[in-house]
Amino acid sequence: MSGGFAQRAREALGNQQLHIALDRTTAQLVVRRAAGLASLEDADRVRDRARASKMQLLHTLADSLRAFEARLVENGARVHWAETAADANRIIVEIATKAGVRRVAKSKSMASEQTHVNGAFERAGIGVVETDLGEYIVQLAGDRPSHIIMPIVHMTREQVGRVMAQRLAVPYSDDTQTLARYARAQLREEFLQADMGLTGANFGVVENGAICLVTNEGNARMVTTLPRVYVVLMGIEKLVPTMADLDRFLKLLARSATGQKLTAYTTLVRGPRRSGDDSGPDQMHVVLLDNGRSKILAGETAEILGCIRCGACLNACPVYRSVGGHAYGDVYPGPVGSIVTPGIRGLAPFAELPSASSLCGACREVCPVRLDIPRMLLALRHEAVEHTRQPAALRMGLTLFARVASRPRLYRAATAVVRRVLRSRARDGWIRRAPGMASGWTRFRDLKAPAAETFETAWRRRAAGRTS
Amino acid sequence: MSGARDAILGRVERAVRTGRIPSAPPHDRDEDGGTRADGDARRGAPDSARLQERFVLEARALGVETYVEPTAAAVCDRLRTLIAGLRVLAWNPDGLPYDCGSIVDGALLGSSPRADQARAEVGITACHGAIAETGSLALVAGPGCSPTVSLLPPFHVALVRPEDLHERFIDFVTARADALAQSSNCTFVTGPSRTADIELSLTIGVHGPGRVAIVIGP
Repeated sequence: MSGGFAQRAREALGNQQLHIALDRTTAQLVVRRAAGLASLEDADRVRDRARASKMQLLHTLADSLRAFEARLVENGARVHWAETAADANRIIVEIATKAGVRRVAKSKSMASEQTHVNGAFERAGIGVVETDLGEYIVQLAGDRPSHIIMPIVHMTREQVGRVMAQRLAVPYSDDTQTLARYARAQLREEFLQADMGLTGANFGVVENGAICLVTNEGNARMVTTLPRVYVVLMGIEKLVPTMADLDRFLKLLARSATGQKLTAYTTLVRGPRRSGDDSGPDQMHVVLLDNGRSKILAGETAEILGCIRCGACLNACPVYRSVGGHAYGDVYPGPVGSIVTPGIRGLAPFAELPSASSLCGACREVCPVRLDIPRMLLALRHEAVEHTRQPAALRMGLTLFARVASRPRLYRAATAVVRRVLRSRARDGWIRRAPGMASGWTRFRDLKAPAAETFETAWRRRAAGRTS
Repeated sequence: MSGARDAILGRVERAVRTGRIPSAPPHDRDEDGGTRADGDARRGAPDSARLQERFVLEARALGVETYVEPTAAAVCDRLRTLIAGLRVLAWNPDGLPYDCGSIVDGALLGSSPRADQARAEVGITACHGAIAETGSLALVAGPGCSPTVSLLPPFHVALVRPEDLHERFIDFVTARADALAQSSNCTFVTGPSRTADIELSLTIGVHGPGRVAIVIGP
């Protein structure tokens, strides 16, 4: 995938539709988040404590996982452990096959997006439908989601209308209320027919084994209530210690994501249906997924496992806002994706992602858990340089620079030449294309023309002026 | 299967020894291990009139219709008006307060065939808690209290008693911990079903009810 991000970003920058769609949403989400946080009493303190509890949890993750597993079993759920994406898919398809499942209704789950479980179901001859409105449209269009909480942020309402008209044989409309009504009618049947519901987990509560799910549409409620088999696929890092912690995270998640005080539906699932219940699944399974997370935990970017997937860093990021989610090349886009994707999929194919940032720090500013995203991006850049062989020209260039820079007279003579060449190329104070080896640098940026006088001469002149 | 479990737990245990996990400053941790809620120390219990006022305010801001009725008879009248002419799905009548059970006599119940429940036009429930701070209803699944009632119909009517009110999520969770432990599903309903997936434009009633009404009795 070399040249991948740069190539995709260039294409995205030229995509007029994408810019209309991104402009209509990201800026508004930034404003809503700010208003949401302002409505939270003592917001800074809540964020500090949320961060502290996540970091504390990571320090004791193995014990927390054991305790969580024990509570799940007490609640009547069956627990499975998956080391890789392929293992998770195999386990889930096995559960489905054993239970004679023919149709699966899925509520939005980033973890399952990353394991590509839909493909595994289809290969096993099991039908699967996404039920989050955005994910459903992604599935209809054969597209990919481009935002953690707004999967079709890259589409305009007109595009959505065309997809629905084509795939569902309904009259074209660009009225969102009408489009939502189409989806409701189609998906209602899917909910009622499905034998199995599949969700991720927003949080798993260690103290009581509750799986916490939040949705605004109500699809997670449907898939945890109607089908007879219910499966949760969750990363091993999605735990919170107590209900008091959960309270804090719920307050932060909705506000950071959409500015709401609380998401419309917050569901706590504690096992399959109990005796006397009229609804709820007969069996519940929880698949705990590693898939690179323990590797992330062992390294410089361990902190990213505290992410609660609110998407605030995407909306705040000037790079994301310019190129959209698809340019990042995997399920998690934006600043968080630039750390999670190399962590899970390996740094080599995604070595460009940590550099897809100006390190402005807007992501750290809005992160509800105050994750130090710029620090982690720098750590990954460092790692990328350490572990990949740099081009011969760069190595030679640096050796040469070291020789010149350590000899003052040579250095002064060399900079005088370079300054003259660069100034001769400048127009209106900017160099758009630098000569020779430096041309790589100006491929993506403009270079400010050097000043007429070096810092050194200016300093000497001022010093002379003061003493006279 | 246990091979994967041990392998993952082993890797996690080794990982925390080398991973750069920031340590939590002691003052940000909870002195009692995290069970205490934020701001408890300086907070007195607000009186029930204030709670109700806040609850109504928050619910209305979410687009929920709210009715405060002075007597049980007025609650029943209000309910009759709201559901007039609609096909009703309800929690078991003996679980409804203010003697509203008789009004839903003959209604579809959580035990009715799924296909029939799916055709209901209004769902009637009580609640196990009402959260003033967020305008949320807490609905705990159990015998006679099927989650389908508040989910399948396009219109949800909930009956709330003043004693159901709690100031915050954590107050309810603490007060009703036993009820929660005995149930497989507890849902907090905060306004009607909604989405903003298409261009962030607010759209009501995607999968759950698009209309929610709350009747508060004496």
